[in-house]
Amino acid sequence: MADASQGKLIEFKGASLAVMTAYVRETDAVRLADAMHMMMGGMPDFFAGEPVVLDFSQLAGAPDWVDWTAITSLLRRYQVQPIGVRHLPEHLHEGARRANLAMLGKEGMSAERPVATPQPAAPVPQPEPVAAPAPAPAPEPVAEAQPATGNTAAPTLIVERPLRSGQQIYAKGGDLVLLAGMSPGSEVIADGSIHVYGPLRGRALAGARGDTSARIFSTNFGPELVSIAGVYRTFERGIPQNAAGRAAQVRLIGSDNQHTLEITPLQNDH
Amino acid sequence: MTRVIVITSGKGGVGKTTTSASISSGLALRGFKTAVIDFDVGLRNLDLIMGCERRVVYDLVNVINGEANLSQALIKDKHCDNLFILPASQTRDKDALTEEGVEKVLKDLSHQGFDYVVCDSPAGIERGAVMALTFADEAIVVSNPEVSSVRDSDRILGILQSKSRRAIEGREPVKEHLLITRYSPKRVEEGEMLSYKDVQELLRVPLIGVIPESDDVLQASNQGTPAIHLKDSDVAFAYQDVVARFLSEDRPLRFVSYEKPGILKRLFGGK
Ligand SMILES: Nc1ncnc2c1ncn2[C@@H]1O[C@H](COP(=O)(O)OP(=O)(O)OP(=O)(O)O)[C@@H](O)[C@H]1O
Ligand SMILES: [Mg+2]
Repeated sequence: MADASQGKLIEFKGASLAVMTAYVRETDAVRLADAMHMMMGGMPDFFAGEPVVLDFSQLAGAPDWVDWTAITSLLRRYQVQPIGVRHLPEHLHEGARRANLAMLGKEGMSAERPVATPQPAAPVPQPEPVAAPAPAPAPEPVAEAQPATGNTAAPTLIVERPLRSGQQIYAKGGDLVLLAGMSPGSEVIADGSIHVYGPLRGRALAGARGDTSARIFSTNFGPELVSIAGVYRTFERGIPQNAAGRAAQVRLIGSDNQHTLEITPLQNDH
Repeated sequence: MTRVIVITSGKGGVGKTTTSASISSGLALRGFKTAVIDFDVGLRNLDLIMGCERRVVYDLVNVINGEANLSQALIKDKHCDNLFILPASQTRDKDALTEEGVEKVLKDLSHQGFDYVVCDSPAGIERGAVMALTFADEAIVVSNPEVSSVRDSDRILGILQSKSRRAIEGREPVKEHLLITRYSPKRVEEGEMLSYKDVQELLRVPLIGVIPESDDVLQASNQGTPAIHLKDSDVAFAYQDVVARFLSEDRPLRFVSYEKPGILKRLFGGK
């Protein structure tokens, strides 16, 4: 029992913590419940107690009043643990405080001086109506994920096993390499580029912190959604013929505010 | 060392129990001391297919709760000497199965010298299914050649990766096998069903076999005889092949291509 910290039963230190952000675009609890059910139906414990910051920067309209009890208990039903709010309109602060939610600044959980990292990209405009999990640690981490650390270069996260429906993985600060492809209904997010050897069939979001030079590569292209630095595209009406099922890449072209996604087949594809 | 094999699928009614009965019987026929456990709390099922429903006194939950010991609850199979069945409980209480309880039962089976323990999982991805796969060393994921079944198999593979003890403890991952059941080469030919190649391409798991769709399965279950024992039946041969491949023997795939009935067959009938 007697160690260096004896005498101090509790000690406070600065720490920065990576947490998941939920962009809440609607505060009506019934509509949120509906959207959560659509997204998470059948997987009530997907989040497994994951702490989450609620970000209201993309809120459609400013409600007069928010039923915080309803929202927090709804989230807890899906085992999401709301810990604080961010970008919440001023007049709603008091209510959120009473619901035991912390008011967080732009830096979120960072209690240390902010590190010189690029600010998060413009919010990822995902097609789901609400509460889309933003770039964040994977709720169902893949066991084999092994960061191959270099000296100063950002680490590359290499995943050797297939990523399955319902699984999500986040490569913080660097590239993500999937060696066995990904299934429909899975999601990968990287601050850098995403390389998928094998089928890319779920959602792939590269440049999650705004790196517009990030790209997405796959040897068998067939995603549900791709996004680079917040510019996204879905494929309800099918994948471009020249890329479907083949080796292809996605990148951002254009400049400043005029970015568009370009999908091209890779030359060395026979 | 006892190997624990879970037979799982996500989707219901795809042939897990049929497969559990045949594979456990097949392993026992090869001389391995084998137990098959029904995890489908509330729905007794395996005991009917094994034809031992009239001899069920105690079940898995009784053993977990200490109301019976393992030897009392294990039912000796009527076809194979070294096969034992641990039936499901009829209790509605879904919490009756605890992780510690299941772990203890598996440990006891190991002490009794069992080579294989086959766990017949309930459908779904909830508690019961997770309990059945928690301690698995190998998983046979049963899928029918249709999109919804494949999707659910994919989910259950993800859960194996995250919820199995092997995954949680960072040991070598659960060894995965894909078994496609209720396969009809004719319907594949006609474009009404995914081919086994499609299914394997979607799931990217090594294929351990393809079981054809056959009325023999219903007939076998009505008799309380696992399908692998049937005489002159494609289903029996296909399950025997699966057991052989499980034991690392090479067997080419059979019953996967459709041959249009020739003129003689069309004239004179017959299977
Ligand atoms: N190869 C087959 N050919 C024809 N019918 C089959 C075949 N395999 C299984 N069946 C039938 O499909 C039905 C479901 O089979 P079974 O009970 O083995 O599935 P299950 O996955 O265990 O179902 P549950 O999810 O309800 O536990 C049964 O009526 C069975 O007779
Ligand atoms: Mg069953």
